[in-house]
Amino acid sequence: MLRSSGALAATSAVLAACSSTKPSVARIGESPTTVKLEDLAVTDVVLLRTAMSMETMASAMLSDSGVTALASKDTASVIAAFAADHTSHLEDLRVLISARNGEAYSDTNAKLMQAYGQTALDLVASGKLPADTLALTLAVETLIAGTYQYFVSLTVQPALRADLVRIGARSSRRAAVTAQLINGGTGGFAPANDKDGVALVATLPGAFGSLSAVQVQLGPVNDTGTRATVLMDTPSLNSLIY
Amino acid sequence: MPYVDTHQVESPDMSMTTRRRLIASLLTGGAIVAAAPLFAGRASAAEAGGPPHRDAADNDALNASLERESRMVATYRKAIGGLTENDLIAMTLILDHHVAYAQALTGYLAVDVKTPGSAPLASPAGSLASVARQLAALEDQTATIHTDNLATIKGIDAAMLLASIVTVEARHSAALELVAGASPIAAVGN
Repeated sequence: MLRSSGALAATSAVLAACSSTKPSVARIGESPTTVKLEDLAVTDVVLLRTAMSMETMASAMLSDSGVTALASKDTASVIAAFAADHTSHLEDLRVLISARNGEAYSDTNAKLMQAYGQTALDLVASGKLPADTLALTLAVETLIAGTYQYFVSLTVQPALRADLVRIGARSSRRAAVTAQLINGGTGGFAPANDKDGVALVATLPGAFGSLSAVQVQLGPVNDTGTRATVLMDTPSLNSLIY
Repeated sequence: MPYVDTHQVESPDMSMTTRRRLIASLLTGGAIVAAAPLFAGRASAAEAGGPPHRDAADNDALNASLERESRMVATYRKAIGGLTENDLIAMTLILDHHVAYAQALTGYLAVDVKTPGSAPLASPAGSLASVARQLAALEDQTATIHTDNLATIKGIDAAMLLASIVTVEARHSAALELVAGASPIAAVGN
């Protein structure tokens, strides 16, 4: 009887502990209450709104005065055309959102701008290196292409996946053109190193589109002889525009 | 020393069997409570109605993409014949990409693969610019074929594979356009 009662009491205690909603550790004074996060779904409209925020961010970064002031005469017109392309994609995305009864989003992606966009612009401005304008352009175009490619895995409607890839392919083309402006000719197609062993910019860095973070070195050379590396990630659950 | 006889007293309404059943029931209940989230996860995933990872209905479109890639491989093999040095390395790199696409699609289709054709789509010849111009047009068409197929494909894994191919084929096309002599803005397709 005692054994059975003990087992019963232990089982009850375990179940009671699992079901308790109160903190198990005693506290003195007021404790902050936790607010349950809203249960948000990643819908096709959310992806399209996020794509708009990314296109707006790309356009803003490529049109930034720190970038346009540093760009050479030859590259300034190309970068400006790329910025205009991103603005024109907003209309394509707006049509796709309207068709799904969604609401367009006209602002930049504030979280990603804060995470790496503004840092990149500040580094370009402080470095005052014209070459950084093309490096930044290549990184931004690669990021946008990767974003659309990633969104394919989250999109429900097959037709919309094709629409996203069509827009993303435009950024891929711009990335290839920018890479050729940095390291031109057929010699720049394949990944290679210079005579000092430093990796050169490759127009075709891999057979399949990459979804890893885009890395770009920007800004002035620091005391140790290196430059800051900015990592640009595609949007994730905390930077989607719901 | 007195002999003490001990007896376990069992009340008629609470037998050992009943207690065992009670404990067993409690333990079973605990196990069900612990396993509930696992079942709930499966249930919600099924109820969410998300796209399937794989769908047999996609096989025809994927075989069509494989057919195109196989013929692109044959075309590049023909095109690199007269090239040298960096030009040869660059075109061989793109050839290798198309070989990788054909292999990836073949691997994905597995037993559902149909033997693709191997006839070249064209016979690019002449100067590097001329060869690049012809190949750029073929790259564009190939990317368009895959993208159109993407609009019909239900399986998310196949869709991701095609998307990763189109992303790079767009780069092929733009780079070849530049080599062919197009301006940077024209090479983008503006």
